Amino acid sequence: MSAAEDQAAVEKVLGGDTSAFEGLVRRWQGPLVNLAYRFCRDRGRAEELAQEAFLRAYRSLGAWRREAAFSTWLFTLATNLYCSELRRIPARTVGLDEVAEPRDPRAMDGGLEEEDRDGVVRRAVFSLPPKYREVLILFYFHEMDVTATARSLGLPEGTVKARLSRGREMLRSKLSNRLRADLLKKEA
Amino acid sequence: MREEEFDRILSKKQEIIPSPGFVVSVMDAVRREAAALAPIAFPWKRALPGMIAAGLALVWCVVVGVKLLTGGNAIEPPPAKLLVLLGLLSETWRAVGASWILLALVSSLASVKLSMRYAYGKRW
Repeated sequence: MSAAEDQAAVEKVLGGDTSAFEGLVRRWQGPLVNLAYRFCRDRGRAEELAQEAFLRAYRSLGAWRREAAFSTWLFTLATNLYCSELRRIPARTVGLDEVAEPRDPRAMDGGLEEEDRDGVVRRAVFSLPPKYREVLILFYFHEMDVTATARSLGLPEGTVKARLSRGREMLRSKLSNRLRADLLKKEA
Repeated sequence: MREEEFDRILSKKQEIIPSPGFVVSVMDAVRREAAALAPIAFPWKRALPGMIAAGLALVWCVVVGVKLLTGGNAIEPPPAKLLVLLGLLSETWRAVGASWILLALVSSLASVKLSMRYAYGKRW
């Protein structure tokens, strides 16, 4: 399905053909569920959030101005919903200090196993204040495209760049203790 | 930890596939939404004359107030018909117990607002 097909489906829905919305759901279900999953790391909740995003999109299809691509409009709507819902009821995440030690004995020699290390970084992202966390999540979801991130959040690109830089700085400082301990273990 | 390492870790795609029933579930919700009756629109056409009259009365009050404050005795007495109309309005107001109705409306509105605020947070 292309952008033109998206538009045609929207016109049909606006003309009263509700079933035409199914094509849009089929095309965008993956990206919307995955975006929600990045925000909450909970599959069930991600699907609930994505469903609510589709419902809101259906309700406000008439508000989509054709200057922007349908996908841009949909992502902005979904991002707003996810951010506000997760600020209202935050995702249940494990704190950085509560992360269990690696179970694999190789990890004791070779530092944190890659998977554990990735997990620690991801959890550290969740421990950031929302405005930095949201920018970081969207930046990597949009394959490091600042313009797309700014559009989804409705923020100027300069603000997104500043928050990215500050967010990374905070991540570095949060992780430094953890990684230093890891290094000491490696040296011992 | 270097920036490239953050980029490498956080760019890693951990794709999840929506459950098989997801589309059906969304479309069910959409169909329910479409089948639901549209909310009753505010009756602007009926309310408009009353709102205009209220607006004019407010403007008249402001003009009289300003004249009272600035000119003192210079204000002319309002026309007799207007006085009769105001008297009639005041009689009706008392007869239907409009003050109580107004009080009930305000307290209902306040209680609805408060409950919404507790349920949904500050945006209400």
